Amino acid sequence: MVLSLSRVPFNRSLPQGTLICARTYANSPPGQQSPFRIQNVKSTGTSKNKKAFSRKNRIGAFRSMAPSSLTVPVLQPSPNSSLSSVPTFKPEMITENMIGQVVAFSQTPNDPIKYFGTPKNMLLEFRLLSQRCSVIRNITVFTAEELDSAAAEPSHKTRYVLTGPSGCGKSFLLLQSVQYCLAKGWIVIYIPRAKATVNSTTTHTYDLRTQTYLQPNYAQQTLRRILEVNSANLETLTLREGLNYDRRSFSSGTTLAQLASAGSKDAVISSVVLETLLNELSRQSKIPVLLAVDDFQAIYNQKTAYRDPHFSAIRPYHLAIPRFILEFASGKRSFPKGAVLGALTAMDPAFPVTNELMDELGLPGLHPRSPYSKRSKILQEYARGLMNLPVPEEFSPREAASVFETWMRDNALTAPGNDELFLAKYTESAGNPKAFVWQGILGPSLNQI
Amino acid sequence: MVHILGINLPDNQLARFALTTIYGVGPHLSHRLCARFQIHDKCRVKDLTPLQTTSLASFLQSPKTALPLPQYPLAPLNFVARPPSKSIQELQAEFNAARAAQKQKREEKLLQMGKSTAEDVKGKTTRGRKAPEKKSRDPLTELRIESELRREIRENIAHQRMIGSYVGRRHAMHLPVRGQRTQTNAKTARKLNNLDRW
Repeated sequence: MVLSLSRVPFNRSLPQGTLICARTYANSPPGQQSPFRIQNVKSTGTSKNKKAFSRKNRIGAFRSMAPSSLTVPVLQPSPNSSLSSVPTFKPEMITENMIGQVVAFSQTPNDPIKYFGTPKNMLLEFRLLSQRCSVIRNITVFTAEELDSAAAEPSHKTRYVLTGPSGCGKSFLLLQSVQYCLAKGWIVIYIPRAKATVNSTTTHTYDLRTQTYLQPNYAQQTLRRILEVNSANLETLTLREGLNYDRRSFSSGTTLAQLASAGSKDAVISSVVLETLLNELSRQSKIPVLLAVDDFQAIYNQKTAYRDPHFSAIRPYHLAIPRFILEFASGKRSFPKGAVLGALTAMDPAFPVTNELMDELGLPGLHPRSPYSKRSKILQEYARGLMNLPVPEEFSPREAASVFETWMRDNALTAPGNDELFLAKYTESAGNPKAFVWQGILGPSLNQI
Repeated sequence: MVHILGINLPDNQLARFALTTIYGVGPHLSHRLCARFQIHDKCRVKDLTPLQTTSLASFLQSPKTALPLPQYPLAPLNFVARPPSKSIQELQAEFNAARAAQKQKREEKLLQMGKSTAEDVKGKTTRGRKAPEKKSRDPLTELRIESELRREIRENIAHQRMIGSYVGRRHAMHLPVRGQRTQTNAKTARKLNNLDRW
């Protein structure tokens, strides 16, 4: 299934569903081979059966076509249409007078977007834009100030959960915090899709020592990602006590980078290495640590998709990775300097926001709750002390205007980009960031209908 | 390619789906089997470890003779794990010793209170009669697959015939058994219904 975007303004001969992407990159990003994925899109697929689904020819949403196949003149990139003038993100930019300014996340060697990944909607948006941009809002400035004060305090004092209606910018704010802290020299552990730890997509094995179900493959991935993004900082920290496990031994002077590297290559020891790494990070007070988790409510659901051998559902606090997130989020374990940030996903029917979280954060919720509603005492304990950081549900006109201009410069608009269009889209979406971009800017405009 | 009970499971299939190709295992039983051997929902057949494959195969060979599932103690709220240097055998031995000690303590307490121990109480009701054994809720304990299941079906049909029931007669006549119409449309029954069906 080929999904791409229509940038053909007034051509009514194209049927409604035809979408052609006109994105080209001048230079390939560092560390990647070719910016263009040349796909031979056959309508029949590789198998003889035309209806058979074949993964080989699957392109993925919003991938670019090769520039050689863009023969229509209107799809050629014009010299004005580039986002090269968008300033690169720097932590000094997050100030009051920069509110409403769009900044781009450059592709550094330890790029967190590349190594940690991002939530799906954000990933698709970044594929569409020629630079990975985001707008600085007043809540960004507030969060940055909070993180600055958290740099000198233990993480159990700064445990925020970003809340707000669907599409108000929680995941983006979390990503901005991650970029900010990384640029400020923190160690950053970013889990963009915490749902993946509880929806039975990774291996799990029972471990008698920790009396939980370890997730070795996920631990291995996490170690690799933490290492790639934080290698410079991890080189400066060392193990205080030696570690002996499974015929492997790490002496007390080993750097955390070497430890993480060993753990990321071998799934057998990865869980123990991750546990040791976190213990060491919880003891060192040299470098502040940020634990940022998107899909935060997924780990607060009483039942995960995993089943134990007796077929009862495994609780999130009995799985290794969700357990460590819960412990840091509840303050039971703490980094001597740092913070814990979580972002809820408002509309996920598989993992809804639970009563325990809603009570602690003071959220109204969709349905009325009473003292008789089901709550788990253990999850209430794990939710204790979380602070609500409500993200404003609408863009201010200035922020919306910057976003509009960015997409306009990137040739996203299908109608002439003027004040009338901007105000129309802003009003139609009621300022909601996601609706403004996806249904407003990228959706059909009145001229097309 | 993984072979279980002579059936070839394709590598790229989800294990939970691949197990349903075994005669007698449907989606629910397959889910239960995967849970028993700690196979997650999205595990492909090629990702199964050799231990999982052999334990699955040996379980399915003879489900009745399988060992009972061990207890899996789960970490309480403020649990602190032992350091990783301790070997698994030591931990297992410690755990078993702790459980045995707990059981003994419980029995001593019961004796002190003048009540009989748990083993005596097990088989008796208050009037001293033997209590009926509770049926296990785990369908894997009574799992029947492949040839055993076919034999059971054959036996059931033979039993129906032996007692001279309507169901048996219909099987013998190659006609629908469950009250379907025969004026038209009894093609499948005419083709498949048989006394020695399997």
